[in-house]
Amino acid sequence: MLSSPTVRTSLIFTAIALVGLVFADIAITAANPWKDLGRFFLGVVTPDFFSTQGLATALLRTVAFAFVGVALGSVCGFLLALVYRAYPVRIFCAFVRAIHELFWALIFLQFFGFHPLTGVLAIAIPYSGIFAKVYSEILEEADPEPGRLLPPGTGVISAFLYARIPDCWVQMRTYTAYRLECGLRSSAILGFVGLPTLGFYLESAFSQGHYSDAGAMLILFYVLIATLPLWVKPKLLPVYILGAPFFLGDGMPIVWGNVARFFTEDIVPSPLKNEEGWAGMGAWFGDLFINQALPGIWNTVILTQIALVATGIIALLAFPLISTHFGRPVRRTGGHVFLVIMRSTPEYILAYILLQLWGPSMLPAVVALALHNGGIIGHLIGRQSSSIILRPDAPTGVNRYTYELVPRVYRSFLAFLFYRWEIIMRETAILGILGIYTLGFYVDSAIQNIQFDKAMVLILITASLNIGVDILGRFIRKKLALQTMPTC
Amino acid sequence: MALNFIRKFALISMMALTVSATASAQTLVFTAIPDEDETKLVERFKGIADYLSGELDVEVRYIPVKSYAAAISAFRNNQVQLAWFGGLSGVQARELVTGSEAIAQGVEDKAFYTHFIAHKNTGLDEMEELSDELRGKTFTFGSKGSTSGRLIPEYYIREAFDESPEEVFSRVGFSGNHTRTLRLVESGTYDVGAINFSVWDKEMENDNIDTDAVKVIWTTPSYPNYQWTIRGDVNERFGEGFSQRVQEALLAMDAPELLESFPRSGFIPVANDAYEPIRVVGKQIGIID
Amino acid sequence: MSGFDLTGLTASFGGERVIGPLSLSVREGDRVALVGRSGAGKSTLINLIHQQVQGHSSLVPQNLGLVNALQVFHNVYMGRLDANATWYNTLTLVRPFARDSREVKALLEELAMPEKVWIPAASLSGGQRQRVAIARALYRKADLLLADEPVSALDGPTAHLVMKLLKQRFRTSVIALHDVELALAYCTRIVGIQDGQVALDEPSDKLTPADIMPLY
Repeated sequence: MLSSPTVRTSLIFTAIALVGLVFADIAITAANPWKDLGRFFLGVVTPDFFSTQGLATALLRTVAFAFVGVALGSVCGFLLALVYRAYPVRIFCAFVRAIHELFWALIFLQFFGFHPLTGVLAIAIPYSGIFAKVYSEILEEADPEPGRLLPPGTGVISAFLYARIPDCWVQMRTYTAYRLECGLRSSAILGFVGLPTLGFYLESAFSQGHYSDAGAMLILFYVLIATLPLWVKPKLLPVYILGAPFFLGDGMPIVWGNVARFFTEDIVPSPLKNEEGWAGMGAWFGDLFINQALPGIWNTVILTQIALVATGIIALLAFPLISTHFGRPVRRTGGHVFLVIMRSTPEYILAYILLQLWGPSMLPAVVALALHNGGIIGHLIGRQSSSIILRPDAPTGVNRYTYELVPRVYRSFLAFLFYRWEIIMRETAILGILGIYTLGFYVDSAIQNIQFDKAMVLILITASLNIGVDILGRFIRKKLALQTMPTC
Repeated sequence: MALNFIRKFALISMMALTVSATASAQTLVFTAIPDEDETKLVERFKGIADYLSGELDVEVRYIPVKSYAAAISAFRNNQVQLAWFGGLSGVQARELVTGSEAIAQGVEDKAFYTHFIAHKNTGLDEMEELSDELRGKTFTFGSKGSTSGRLIPEYYIREAFDESPEEVFSRVGFSGNHTRTLRLVESGTYDVGAINFSVWDKEMENDNIDTDAVKVIWTTPSYPNYQWTIRGDVNERFGEGFSQRVQEALLAMDAPELLESFPRSGFIPVANDAYEPIRVVGKQIGIID
Repeated sequence: MSGFDLTGLTASFGGERVIGPLSLSVREGDRVALVGRSGAGKSTLINLIHQQVQGHSSLVPQNLGLVNALQVFHNVYMGRLDANATWYNTLTLVRPFARDSREVKALLEELAMPEKVWIPAASLSGGQRQRVAIARALYRKADLLLADEPVSALDGPTAHLVMKLLKQRFRTSVIALHDVELALAYCTRIVGIQDGQVALDEPSDKLTPADIMPLY
């Protein structure tokens, strides 16, 4: 078994994570973590839907930001997909999607302030990069034959509309709908930095220990996502998209001078601004790199590697919950509900909740990342395992799991895991805003100190790290010949 | 089809933008640093908004923000014209907006204090000065941008130990605000924390503190803190002498329920120079460039 | 103008030569049937001719090349995308003009499937799909027809109907056929392909099925 490259890769990654555990800060520091957790669950089962005024508005804003952001992102992403073959476009897209929505929001907050545009762009920009990549992959896989058959002299646009788009349409629509769900999650967490979406109220309720209010918000959020197919119908989509801009709230007016100031002054490294020249620049950057970037990178990488392996373990443990090869329909329904909750809760919110309950350390972050991502992968391979047809006399129970199913789904399991590697790292970095010492912590500190020049450099470093992991992940998937469909 | 859609979309977005821009043209908007629980802040500043709007004859609106930096940015970006800042955030904001003025501070803000509080399990007792007993304990500041919750305590920690807080303590966190610092130390999540004395006193008065679990072990020397800061260009926008009218309105505030919500016994005039010591400390610690 | 000359034609696939060297000259008015065992190189030859005439032909490839997500109408209409402006084609995608739909409907009527005009190609049977590809070739109205087994999925009577129609509409054609009877009945010239070479090239009225059988 050790000779199999997939097994070897898995073992190497597990070993890295174990070494990481030695250096990681894993602890429960709260004095009464279980009491608080109990109070939280009590809050969830006794939700109070009417205490926070504005809960309905917050939900409406969450949906509106998601719709406008995703719509704008998909239009831009589509246009970029058409020229995706150009190398600069690829780099540009990789770059904008390597920066997390929350970082984008923090950047735009500095010059647009609390204007709806901040939230819309924070979603639309990284999503454009993702849409561009996935759309171009879908377009590339379209059957080339109809295009070849067109009469010579057919216009480029006509050829594209007739011979390319129709075949890709269903796949693009499915993916876009899927992204809308991600958009709802992104939109919700934007509230944590002050935009008027669900996260805003969730944070307030939580920090004050109003668990019943928080429970109500979470339940409404799950219902919103679970019922997505019921209220998002193709026919209603134009209505939603055209209507959504009116429900973003008015926020504060934009002062365009601020935009110019941000780009010409705020993000110019302070030694250059103070005319200390390149020598000053070297000292400034060296100090930033050694005292903030390096510790940030170190913690981000360690946390990512531990979370990656934990995600894998959760996914492997969770997929039988919904697999038709185990359990009765009733139990499977329970499993579905559990996995829906896991994957509908954004890592950021999950980590925030656990941090409140367990106190600060890497543990809440690892658990949050593993539960969310493990829920997604568990759902995907669980569904895949259900389509496997076993011989009538196949073993049952644990033997069925270890001999029949895991070997069959292991390759796609690894494919999904390595696909999500970069996503996990992006999230790990952002969790720093919550107080874990990953790159996001230092970005947030720089912003809190009104040192946007430092914040920008740290964001760029974070983006490069993500791009690096993305490339490495793709290399490993290619090396192991693993194929996967994109997940968010 | 797609083009048409984009056009409509752009048109509608533009309309939404213009509508929102015109709606708030003649409103005085103010904010405050989120140093306490949000419900308390909203309650407090809704009252202030009503009071100011009555005194000044313009519409006055309060917007809550999620971080100290967001309050500073909103002030700097002219999306708010008036703000209730802490010592540090006020200095940062005034440095970024030329012409802006500190116009009023609370009576208590002239000599403000920070308490170091500890959980009873640590066995720490009141101390004359910060001592080596603190080494190896876990410690939480308030918000990263707070004067009383971060700048001043960090300054005295560095002065006492000649080391950074990360080197003195085994774990350093930022709770986010003073109320949360109190809760985290009270529950034992952190051994020690830094909290502004005014929040401590108010919570004490309201019987919100489990005195068996947490107590004050050290108090800093006094320093200037919270103040109302206004942008220099409000006179152009709201009429000559507006800045002065705002100052007068704040100084004249005497309704007990408004003052108690801060809690302050009243407001007194102040000028920018009063905060020079804060600026010096901020620079020393590296929070101000 | 619809005739062509091919000389010294070769094609390789995976390093192995599948065609040629081969010469073929088709004059206007020729109706050529390509016959031969499967794998002899008929499809490759048809594709080479398609390239040679730079696409100026009505092509019915073996895999049909339909856009499954589009309705039958649009699949047929695609045969003449070059004839109209982009805005016209784009509008047609949303809502076809009456003139075009009348014409396409008439074509489908002749192919005995008028009721399928607004049905997506994906939900058609094999025989129906083949007829849609033929309708597209007819709608294209090129001078030369290139067809690769155009009636392989059709029943006897329908196959005859289609072959008759193709004969009527195209003066010049090259059709790969495995059905020798149809080849003799509807084509003027039989070209037998064996191992990528022309093994037989005779007017069809000089041949009987027995002459062709050795090729299989």
